[in-house]
Amino acid sequence: MLRASVETEGLETDYRGIADAASAESSTVPGAGALIGLVEASFSSNPEDGVAARLRLREELGAEALVDTAAVIGNFERMVRIADGTGIPLDAPVNVATESVRRELGIDGYSTAENTGSVRRWQRWLGRALEPVARYGLRRLGRRARERSESLIDS
Amino acid sequence: MTTNAAFDYSGRVEDPLRDDLRLAHQQAWERIAQPGTWWSGRERVAIAAESRAAEYCVFCRKRREALSPFGETGNHDDVSADVLPLAAIDAIHRLVTDASRLTETWVKELAEEGVPDTHYVELLSVVVSIRSIDIFHRAMGISPEPLPEPVAGEPSNKRPVAAASGVGWVPMLPSRLRAGDEADLWRGPAPNVIRAMSLVPDAVRWLKELSAAHYLSMENMPDFTRGRGPLSRAQTELVAGRVSAINECFY
Repeated sequence: MLRASVETEGLETDYRGIADAASAESSTVPGAGALIGLVEASFSSNPEDGVAARLRLREELGAEALVDTAAVIGNFERMVRIADGTGIPLDAPVNVATESVRRELGIDGYSTAENTGSVRRWQRWLGRALEPVARYGLRRLGRRARERSESLIDS
Repeated sequence: MTTNAAFDYSGRVEDPLRDDLRLAHQQAWERIAQPGTWWSGRERVAIAAESRAAEYCVFCRKRREALSPFGETGNHDDVSADVLPLAAIDAIHRLVTDASRLTETWVKELAEEGVPDTHYVELLSVVVSIRSIDIFHRAMGISPEPLPEPVAGEPSNKRPVAAASGVGWVPMLPSRLRAGDEADLWRGPAPNVIRAMSLVPDAVRWLKELSAAHYLSMENMPDFTRGRGPLSRAQTELVAGRVSAINECFY
């Protein structure tokens, strides 16, 4: 999802902050350090961490963004348990599209990886063939959305 | 307490909260309190209370550090042994504290211990709902909401006929739904994570309500130009990715 969204926004893919929280400070995603700071604080046993993290996020991205970040944290605390508690495999297209990223981030080492079968050779070839098309489509979609919002602002 | 008075955030939080968030949380509390499909209101509130207790369970902490999550024996610091079967209490504690090490064999054994797949899925839906709202509160620096009073009544005991095994550890509805009682759950092919709890269709309805307030509506999820409020989609997914990594969730 992160990969698809950065393609849509016309940015370079940047996974810093996901596997290693400290690396979020050098991420190209705006406000990544503040966002990941709130995630870490939400799972910390020290309440003071939360005070500092909220202050930073509010200052860097605003009060509304703070509330929405907290909501997204809550959402995925729910979704990960649904996936882990029911043993669902990755959906086939996602399995193919995220194969290299998973390896890069060490996600394949999680015990829940056993619930998903490995990518077959023909799927890998098909994925590689379709990747440029998907990338083009996402970038075009993002450009059109940005043009739409700019024209709305102008009017 | 009544659920109408629940989640009054005025004076409890520095930043203004969206009204749809408060409403979604109130709805969740009402759903927890009411009889479900397989558990009574009293049992559902007990599941919620046990979810909170699990976080501070000494035995769970010890088990989390063990090489295998199935070798340790001990007693949970439980709060609902007078309402819930011990197998359900253990399931709740595992889902809260060690979900990434659950197995299909364990889910099958749960059925033999008195928590069949239907009851397990509903239990899971209560655990994940309260857990997500509590974590939201913690992230915002708000104290946890007191649990609702249970509503009397009987569970409906309705199992969807189209649910079938084959994906994951519990039966699910097919990716493409035909017209019928559950046709409102999703349109077109649904990802596994949406189908995961469809053995209890109300659990999916509840999931959709909370997800729309916390993240994005199902309709907006495939649109990568949409983020959550002022957050871009990349910012939103970065947060999602880190939460998943902390929980060691492959999905």
